[in-house]
Amino acid sequence: MGQAAGLPKLLRKIKWEMDAFSWSQLLIVLGSFTAFLIVPLGLIVVRSFYSSSTGFSLYWLQSILTDPFYFPLRLKLVGQFPFITLEGIRGSLYEVVRYQTPTGPETIVILTGWDMGVIPNSLVVATFTTLLSTLLGFTLAFIFAKYKFPGSELLRVVSLIPLLSTPFVGAIGLKKMIVADGVLNVLFHDILHLLPFKIEVTGLPAVIMVQTLLFYPIVMLNAYTALISVDPTLEEQAINMGASGFKLFRTITLPLATPGVEAGALLVFILSLEDLGTPIVFKGTTAEKVLTFQIFNRIFTPAGLISQEATTLAMILLVISGLVFVGVRRYVSLRKYAMLGKGGAWRPRRRRLSPLTTILVYAFILGVLFFATLPHIGVTLLAFAKQWGPTLLPSSFTLDNFRAVLSDEEASRCIMNSLVYSSIATLLMVVLGVSAAYLVSRKKSLPGIEALDLLVTIPIAVPGIAVATGLFLTYLGTPLSPTISGAPLLIAAYTVRKIPFTVRSVYSGLEQTDKALDEVAWTVGASRTRTFFSIVMPMILLNVLAGGMLSFIYSMSEVSTGIVVGDANHRDAPMTWKMYDMLFHGLAGGTFQPAALGFLLMTLQFAFIVGANLLLRKRATALIGI
Amino acid sequence: MVSIRTVNLTKVFGSVVAVDHVSLEVGHGEFFTLLGPSGCGKTTFLRTIAGLEMADEGRIYFDDQDITDMPAHLRGTGMVFQNYALWPHMSVFDNIAYGLKIRKVPKDEIRRRVRDVLRLVKLEGLEDRSPHQLSGGQQQRVALARALVINPRVLLFDEPLSNLDAKLRIEMRAELRRIQRELGITAIYVTHDQEEAMSISDRIAVMNRGRIMQVGTPREIYKNPKNDFVARFIGQGTFMEGEVVSTNDVLEIRLGSGKIVKAVRSHPEVDLGVGDRALVMIRPEAFTLEPGEGYNEFDVRVYHVSFLGDSQMLQASNEVENFIIEVDPDLEVEVGQRLKVYAPPRHTLAIKI
Ligand SMILES: Nc1ncnc2c1ncn2[C@@H]1O[C@H](COP(=O)(O)OP(=O)(O)OP(=O)(O)O)[C@@H](O)[C@H]1O
Ligand SMILES: [Mg+2]
Repeated sequence: MGQAAGLPKLLRKIKWEMDAFSWSQLLIVLGSFTAFLIVPLGLIVVRSFYSSSTGFSLYWLQSILTDPFYFPLRLKLVGQFPFITLEGIRGSLYEVVRYQTPTGPETIVILTGWDMGVIPNSLVVATFTTLLSTLLGFTLAFIFAKYKFPGSELLRVVSLIPLLSTPFVGAIGLKKMIVADGVLNVLFHDILHLLPFKIEVTGLPAVIMVQTLLFYPIVMLNAYTALISVDPTLEEQAINMGASGFKLFRTITLPLATPGVEAGALLVFILSLEDLGTPIVFKGTTAEKVLTFQIFNRIFTPAGLISQEATTLAMILLVISGLVFVGVRRYVSLRKYAMLGKGGAWRPRRRRLSPLTTILVYAFILGVLFFATLPHIGVTLLAFAKQWGPTLLPSSFTLDNFRAVLSDEEASRCIMNSLVYSSIATLLMVVLGVSAAYLVSRKKSLPGIEALDLLVTIPIAVPGIAVATGLFLTYLGTPLSPTISGAPLLIAAYTVRKIPFTVRSVYSGLEQTDKALDEVAWTVGASRTRTFFSIVMPMILLNVLAGGMLSFIYSMSEVSTGIVVGDANHRDAPMTWKMYDMLFHGLAGGTFQPAALGFLLMTLQFAFIVGANLLLRKRATALIGI
Repeated sequence: MVSIRTVNLTKVFGSVVAVDHVSLEVGHGEFFTLLGPSGCGKTTFLRTIAGLEMADEGRIYFDDQDITDMPAHLRGTGMVFQNYALWPHMSVFDNIAYGLKIRKVPKDEIRRRVRDVLRLVKLEGLEDRSPHQLSGGQQQRVALARALVINPRVLLFDEPLSNLDAKLRIEMRAELRRIQRELGITAIYVTHDQEEAMSISDRIAVMNRGRIMQVGTPREIYKNPKNDFVARFIGQGTFMEGEVVSTNDVLEIRLGSGKIVKAVRSHPEVDLGVGDRALVMIRPEAFTLEPGEGYNEFDVRVYHVSFLGDSQMLQASNEVENFIIEVDPDLEVEVGQRLKVYAPPRHTLAIKI
């Protein structure tokens, strides 16, 4: 068998599995992804190594890697121990500023962080964000998975709140908290006198802080699922064999939970690396000196073309996240994901805590939650604030910010644009996502079907700004050019970037319906097409709906492509661009009006995520985990 | 109604040959059963007939029509799955009517035919229930009705009764057979329960590791097993190994203990000559307690007695072999007792090994 009959048998197999309907499903998915993801990303790579005079060229890569702005770090040999030093780090971790106020001398410690150049900065930020998120996320997950105390279920849900906003919105809220006369200093220095000096967090440390507070739930979700999926009898066995306490944790619990934690951590690394929203909010500080912001900042040449420098930076960003994706690949494929979702069949072993430990645990969790909800509280207060000086709360509240936003012609047009683009994109995502999920789930025996799984899950790891750059490279000057209309590229970008949410939800729905239900329909005479529409679709409708809702809401809050396209064409800009525009080019209102927009977005996101979860009930456990 | 024929039908999963060059013929209106241990390829064979799996080699014919590459929905097979596979989002009526709607049967006729088939499976009045409101037996009947209502050319059953309790199973299998006979549809039935297979089938194919070991009526399979797999798989028996020492009108076989027994070939195709190794099998009911002309005689000690009501089974041994002996239920036997038992040569079967 096999070898000799190889090719003809393969062709027969393909013919057997693929009818006209399956082919059309496959072709629309491959076609859309080729046109709006593969070719654009390919062009980024090609253009990075291209020069009009010599063809292939390393010029841009070389000039970036030798430019101290991007990569100043140099190893230098020196005469004494340790004989080698690292040069090129600029600035210092913090600065101390003293000044006089009417009430006496005042000290501010400004956390600015070192500047190591754009490329190292991006990596350092991503590394710190990942470490901190993992520490925080894992500790919380461990507490919730292993201990029993009053209110633990509620606290667990509350600690997922950060998932409800994008870094862009969260950063606007948190910024108000951590500046020199921000809420935290008012509270801890002015009112409670817990701090002998004020602390301002800015620049790269602020980016790390925002990202950590928004991303830790991703690690937490993955770790929690992994921890409660650990067969408790394994732990009991270990205890019977004499393991206890830390040894049990180190030898049994941790290794079993590691894959989940690793998956979450690597995803956080990628998300941090590709985050453009936070650096934009902290524009004007060292936060600018990261890859995403630099690409965004110089994507257009003065002539309105796509700069090769930005393209090459995008290529570097793409390569780094690609490498990380290889590590995370195993965990984010549909099949793996469906298995994760099925975890938690055990009754987890939960220990009661002594009163003292309970208090410590509460103190820790409430402390984390205090910081984790700061961004959201910040945005909310800003959105309703009329005036907010250096005080704990705004001095007066108003609905004017919303009125102003909704009566502003451009703002309402942008909201409308976002709604329209996201709706159309959602329709496309449902069609493409259902097609892809159906093929991957139902044609497992078809050679090469894993490639399709890869294709529709990979957007998780592709930086948005790289997608934006690629789309511009590909379509500037064509009928799809954003200078003609912003709609096509934004819809395309939303579709390829946010489709994993739909695909995953639909796929898990398909895995939960027995394939025999399709097959029995065939035997009574229904063609595959007919079976798909009259049997399969009705059974997975809820999953389609829930996935569509998530894809929709994450399209609404998409930042990277939105801002770049919006800059190129204000008329067709989406809501996130308007927030950005108001933040930096707005007239009155300062951050209040962008915060009002952000608040609307956050509320919508809250409603949709809760809605999607209610639709799927228990089955949705891992759904929002990016 | 059609006949089904497979020629060298083969299905491979990776390195597992699930169905291995199977050539079978199932006649018009026949109730044909595939019987074999778990994992022997019964389901795979059935799915290949239904068009749910692609045949890797070989052909499948319905009458003279080659349907090997025909898509499942054009084959006109009615299939009943082990877990019934009722569509949860449809009522009983819609489940059954689905196949008719596809055939664009007029509404009135659909209603009539669904009513008729519900009567046939004795489920009148449950049209509006949804599947999860039905008992296992009722679900089973709905699945059957759904397969029947489209007047399939062939009925395929994959262990349709295995999820039912023992009593219902016996009731349902009589029902299945009645309906199949009434409608005269050719049926292939898959089971690993030999009692079920024996009681319901016109013919049985015994399968092992993807291959057909023997095809025959239940009686043939039981009385004339072609090989040791069938002999051991079907029914119970006392097995002894030995060597053929003469092949006159009866075979004479020397057992390991040196004892010589007289036997006949288990099946006309069994080819045994002097010097061949042979397996000797005696069914429990072939033993008697009275000697007869030329009977084989065994001295055994009883070590277990099972009283079954209408019969009584003894497990006994003679140091070398274990015996299973059916005796009159009125006979008083005790564990440890010594017995002389006899078996006539025509019921002492020799099988090639
Ligand atoms: N889709 C599949 N992929 C890989 N191997 C399979 C697949 N389906 C069946 N097999 C293998 O083929 C062999 C035959 O399986 P099959 O289901 O036909 O057995 P069966 O006789 O129906 O068993 P059972 O009585 O347990 O239902 C088994 O070894 C099984 O593991
Ligand atoms: Mg089976």
